[in-house]
Order: sequence, then C-alpha cells, then structure tokens
Amino acid sequence: MAAEPQGNPWALRFTTLTIVLIPVAVGINYVGKLIAAGLKLPLWLDSIGTVLAGMLAGPWVGALSGAVNNIIFGLTADPISFWYLITSIAIGLVVGYLAFTGWISSFGRVVVLGLIVAGVAAVVSTPINVILWEGQTGNVWGDALYTALVGRGWPIWLASFLDEAVVDLPDKLATVIVSYLIFKALPERLVGLFSGSRSEVESL
Amino acid sequence: MRLSLYVPGDTWVHRLDPMTKLLMTVVGIGLTFLLPSLQGGTLLLVLLLAVLGSAGVLHRAAAVYVGVAIVAGTFLVVQGLVYPGNAVPALTLGPIVFYREGLLVGLRLALRLYNILSATLILVLVTHPSDLVEAVVRRGASPRLGYVIMAVLQVIPTMMATASTIMDAQRSRGLETEGSLWVRLKAFVPVMGPLVTGSLIATEERALALEVRGFSGEGRPTFLKEEVIPPYATAARLVTVAALAAGIAGRWLLGW
Repeated sequence: MAAEPQGNPWALRFTTLTIVLIPVAVGINYVGKLIAAGLKLPLWLDSIGTVLAGMLAGPWVGALSGAVNNIIFGLTADPISFWYLITSIAIGLVVGYLAFTGWISSFGRVVVLGLIVAGVAAVVSTPINVILWEGQTGNVWGDALYTALVGRGWPIWLASFLDEAVVDLPDKLATVIVSYLIFKALPERLVGLFSGSRSEVESL
Repeated sequence: MRLSLYVPGDTWVHRLDPMTKLLMTVVGIGLTFLLPSLQGGTLLLVLLLAVLGSAGVLHRAAAVYVGVAIVAGTFLVVQGLVYPGNAVPALTLGPIVFYREGLLVGLRLALRLYNILSATLILVLVTHPSDLVEAVVRRGASPRLGYVIMAVLQVIPTMMATASTIMDAQRSRGLETEGSLWVRLKAFVPVMGPLVTGSLIATEERALALEVRGFSGEGRPTFLKEEVIPPYATAARLVTVAALAAGIAGRWLLGW
C-alpha cells in the first residue's frame, strides 16, 4: 500500500524532482488519451497525468502540469485547447488540494473527488463555451442535449453547463478512479519522494 | 513520429522572429472578437489565409480545418434549430425547420472558430516550438518553465514507444484489448500502470542528472544560438499593430 500524501497542501513543491515530474505528467495525459482511443473507449481519459501530479506533489504542481498540458496540446495537435487552459489548471488545483486533505484515503471518497472534479471542470468550462461558441461544446452528445434544452426554452447558460457536464461527468469520474488505482499501486518510496517528505534521503 | 505541427521552410514568415509571430497571433485573435460581423470576419479570414499562404503552409492548415469541420457543422445545425432569436424560417426538411437568424449565428461562430484557428496556426505551423520557448526565455520567462515545455516534446515520443512495448507485453500474457466495453476498460489500467511507474522512477535519475549540471543554479543561463531578427520584423510588427488599430477604429467609428 502506498503512503498517503501528507503535509501542507499549499506548500510550494517546486524542487528539481517535481519540475521533472511535470513533463512526465503531460506525457501521461497524452499517452492516456492515445491508449483510450486505441482501445476505442468512449472517454478521453486525457488528464490522468494532471490528476496524478496533483495527488503526488500538491495543487501547484498539478495546476502547472495542467497549464503546460494545454500549451503543448495547443502547439502540437489542437490550437483550440489553449482556451481550456483554465479548466486544466482548475483540475490540477482541486485534485492537489483535496488529495492532501484526505480525499484519496478510501475508494468511496475518491468517487466523491471524481464528482467534484467533474463539477469544477464543467463550471470552469461553461463561461469559455458561452463566450466562444454561444454555449456549445462541439461534442455531439453534449450538443444534442443542448439543442433539446434550448429548444424547450432553457437559458443558454444552464443548457451549456449541462452540455459540458454530461460529457465531463463520466470522463472525469473515470479519470480520477483510474488515477487513484495507479497511485495506489505506486511504490511507497516514489510517493514520499514527490510530496516532499524526504526523510529517507536526509537520513542517509 | 513527429510531435509538432511545425512545417519547415524558408519563407518571410519562417524567418520572422517568434515574438513577431506571437504578436500576429494575439492580434488575429483580438480582431476575431473585435469584428463579430460576417463581413469583418470574412475579411480577417482572407488576411490570415494570405499570411498562411505566403508561408506555404496552407496544405497543413487545410488538414486542421477539415478536422474541425464537424464542430463548425454542429454550430450551424444547433443554432439554426434552436437559437432563441429565431423568427424567419429559411429551410424546411420535413418536420425540421432551420431559421435564418440561427443559421447566421452558426455561420458567425464557424467563422470565429476558423479565425481563431488560423491566427494560432501562424504561430504553430511556422514557428519551431524550441525557437518560441527560447525567445520567451530570452525575454525573462523562467528557464525552468522553458525546460519543462521542451522536455515534454522529447518525453512524449519516448513514452509512446514504451506504451506500445507494454501493450505488446501484456497482450502476450493474455490481456484482452478487444471485446465489450468493460473488457476494454479493464485493459486500460494494466497498460497505464507500468508506464506511469516506469516514467516516475526515471524522473529521479533525470532530476539527479539535471542537478549535477547546475539546473537549480541561480544565475541567468546564456544561449547557444544568437537571436536573428530580420530587418523587416519591425515593419511586420507595425503593420500588425496598424491592423489592430484599424479594427478598433472600424468597430467604434464605422460600426463594422
């Protein structure tokens, strides 16, 4: 069993080790998305690295991993992803803070964490969708719901939020659960290394 | 595998320094929101395409444009059907009615999508990522952040190779990667788990290697290459700022 992350969640953990963690986190996001597509899963699973970085090294490193992820994705695949930088930052912050305050201590709590992350992602993305695309997301399932709701006279903001939420909920829930399963299987030494409890190194 | 949309070349846009291209991209995105009308948006798109065309990267841009065509299409369909200001029917297909106002909103959204894309592609298609990072670090951005961005571009191809090795290894041990959704979902963790553990263990070594090379040193690093700014860069910047000024003037004085 891996140790739980400990210490002040808002402590800055920008050591060489955690800086090196950020590119790896972005790489995990990228490869996770590709494997999910390769297995023909109906989910993106493209923020596992951001979530893991938050669980391992706290909210700041998680947030920076999210930001770098969208910059890289914007530069290499999809220029529109620059706009959703804020969503990724929010995911990293929320996971990092809650992981260090006991929200990954049991499977039940992790499910709640996944729901919180999905909610935050949808709340943060909604204004971006409304400003850029009148509230649409470009996802076929979400936009079908949006069409049905706006057609019945629902306000754009609410329809846009549900458009985003219906896509985010299964995806972010699965992302957080998968990240937790991987996190639990990590060697204890690694977990301590990134969270800053370097007693083992110091005692040498 | 190529992990960048960058298209090598030797046009005037390629030779421009990254900061000028960054300015062009930012102004292009700014103008997209300044000129929401169909006419203004079309004019902007023509300008942006002219820049991309003179850089000789339209064929790569076209691939990106086709990729988002479905999104642009959904804008037209959804807004045409349910835009709250819909009043005048434009097209009736059986029980489905598309309205003029909504179709125009959808068209404007599609135009906005393509304008934002085109403006960003000036930077993305014609600037090598490492040149951009170097230019930003030269102007005071943290060299550590610069390292992070550059390292991602190197680490992703390596990790993808590792992932396919792990996938083969797990398959040869009997892991099912095809079948029902649940079977495929269950295959995800045995592939990602070893990849994550392996990559994290490697970070420790990489951190040590960086430390002995003075990564956490306090001084500003110097640069291997001299920065080359072509003489016409100033003119290009002035024209870009003038375009922004024209957009602002047109919006508020002429009501574009």
